[in-house]
Amino acid sequence: MSILSMCQWLQDTNIGTSIRESIWVFPIIETMHVLGLSISVGLLLVSDLRLMGYIMKRRPASEVYEQIKPWMFTGFAIMTVTGIFLFWCQAVKAYNSIFFKTKVILLIVAAINAIAFERGIYRKVDKWDNALVPPMEARIAGWASLILWAAIITCGRTMAYTF
Amino acid sequence: MSVIVPFFQWCDNTMISQAIRNSRVAFPVIENFHLFALTVLLGSLVVLVLRQFGLVYKTQPISEVASALRPWNRWSMAVMLTSGILLFLSEAMKCYGNTSFRVKMLFLFLALLFQFTIYNRTVAGEDKVAPVGGKIAAGVALCLWFGVGLAGRAIGFLG
Repeated sequence: MSILSMCQWLQDTNIGTSIRESIWVFPIIETMHVLGLSISVGLLLVSDLRLMGYIMKRRPASEVYEQIKPWMFTGFAIMTVTGIFLFWCQAVKAYNSIFFKTKVILLIVAAINAIAFERGIYRKVDKWDNALVPPMEARIAGWASLILWAAIITCGRTMAYTF
Repeated sequence: MSVIVPFFQWCDNTMISQAIRNSRVAFPVIENFHLFALTVLLGSLVVLVLRQFGLVYKTQPISEVASALRPWNRWSMAVMLTSGILLFLSEAMKCYGNTSFRVKMLFLFLALLFQFTIYNRTVAGEDKVAPVGGKIAAGVALCLWFGVGLAGRAIGFLG
């Protein structure tokens, strides 16, 4: 079974069809996906800016990060669940969209960046927690995260124009 | 209502409006910036509101969190309004007949009014625990700004 026929099968399932043809469900999921940006990427911005050495410099970087982490993950959970449903109901269009494919690749890169940060320089956070400007590796992780997410948002918004 | 129709028509016909309509990429690009700014504006508000509810950064005075976020809040608001005005100019007549647009403008007016008259004062204190009034104001500000976003999204869906 090719990926395309799997996408076709997915959007033809009962759930896919009902979401696509509903008057209210699709707009509600889509709105949650857009407003969820503020709780996911919006909160991530704060911890990225701390890593880049721009805000809350007098507070330990780990504190700035750890305290909003559960909220941020809640935001990303909302984004993932609503995103899956949005894909589910228009999988073929998404499959044919270059913006969607780019978005998926960028999401994977963003995840790798986050994991590399957690397993890398963040393991030694004790050594730079109170530094006004964190070490280069942490600053790069912060910049990469913001640039990637800006690109992900752009791809997500732009793919909707092509649908 | 009809007295403001000529104003909307004028907005719809400015050089900027026509330039945006004639370009294939202008509208999507402007809307992308509108979305970036939404992320920063609502994101910084969410962090501050969480702080007022005592859910994050409890060791920092509320005013310290507020001042760390203020430039981000103000700049994103500026980008939001500028990009919003441009988007409006490009389809002013469409907006005129759009109920969600009217609801959005009402929410926007109330959100700005509330933020600059009441809400900003509730985050100015050095206290580490927000008084009940501060918490209520935080909830109201959050609802008003998310109301702007919700009504904004409805412009495209509901009309």
